[in-house]
Amino acid sequence: MPDTAAEARQRIRTLLVELLGNDRFVSRVSDTESLRRAGLSSHALVGLLVAMEDAFGFEWRDDVEPEALRSIDSLAGYVAALRN
Amino acid sequence: MALGLEVPPAVAEGAWIEWRPVRPPYGPHQQSAAGRRAAAAALAAAGSADRIVSRDPGGRPRFPRGFAGSISHTDRLAVAAVVPGAEAVGIDIENATISPRVTEFVLRERERRVLLPPVTRYTPRELFSAKEAAFKAMNGVGTLGEFLFWQIELSQSDGTLIASYGGERIPVWVRSEAGLSLALAIRR
Repeated sequence: MPDTAAEARQRIRTLLVELLGNDRFVSRVSDTESLRRAGLSSHALVGLLVAMEDAFGFEWRDDVEPEALRSIDSLAGYVAALRN
Repeated sequence: MALGLEVPPAVAEGAWIEWRPVRPPYGPHQQSAAGRRAAAAALAAAGSADRIVSRDPGGRPRFPRGFAGSISHTDRLAVAAVVPGAEAVGIDIENATISPRVTEFVLRERERRVLLPPVTRYTPRELFSAKEAAFKAMNGVGTLGEFLFWQIELSQSDGTLIASYGGERIPVWVRSEAGLSLALAIRR
């Protein structure tokens, strides 16, 4: 589990590159931009969430708020909050 | 060969469904443009004078009043459905392979037990797509608050796939062919 949101953001970007097979998406999406609006498919988003479970060692709650999954920043904030 | 999948007349009653190919280099811009072309064609077929689909602040497509619609695309193909007079419509196409981990994430244990083979013939991809289509139809109404598509629950009643969330129920039709799954949910 990363100590800071900054570490989590970097790890999430790496997971996205591994998931998508290239860095085209990651290189143009900002930390705060909606991943879905930026073009990430629902299948890829779920793939990222599953990869985050493995990488960070936690399970998403069934009642997770949609806002927590909106962007790299919000995802990293969720992970950092778990750590703290 | 026809583009996309055919929807039986009984399912698509009152619905206008149009497919358009995504043009090279098949990026997000081309995918979105193909979706808009499909939507414009479906609106034209449905008799709408306004064929522009804008976006609401949440990024959802905003169809002309009286012409409920929905758009979906893969990296190579886009589809749009328009149902004049319907309350909301959700359409989804998927060509991705749904891994066991993703299946477990998106489908609850009960859904996996009663909706996957050998109990039924639905594939994980069809059920994934069914939840997405139902989410679009339910989310389009805007009375259910913020939720995620996998929080919708699927069940089967008299051979029909039913999506439920927040006390709302909506039938979903799904079909697959040649590596592509199509799901359609119409809230009349």
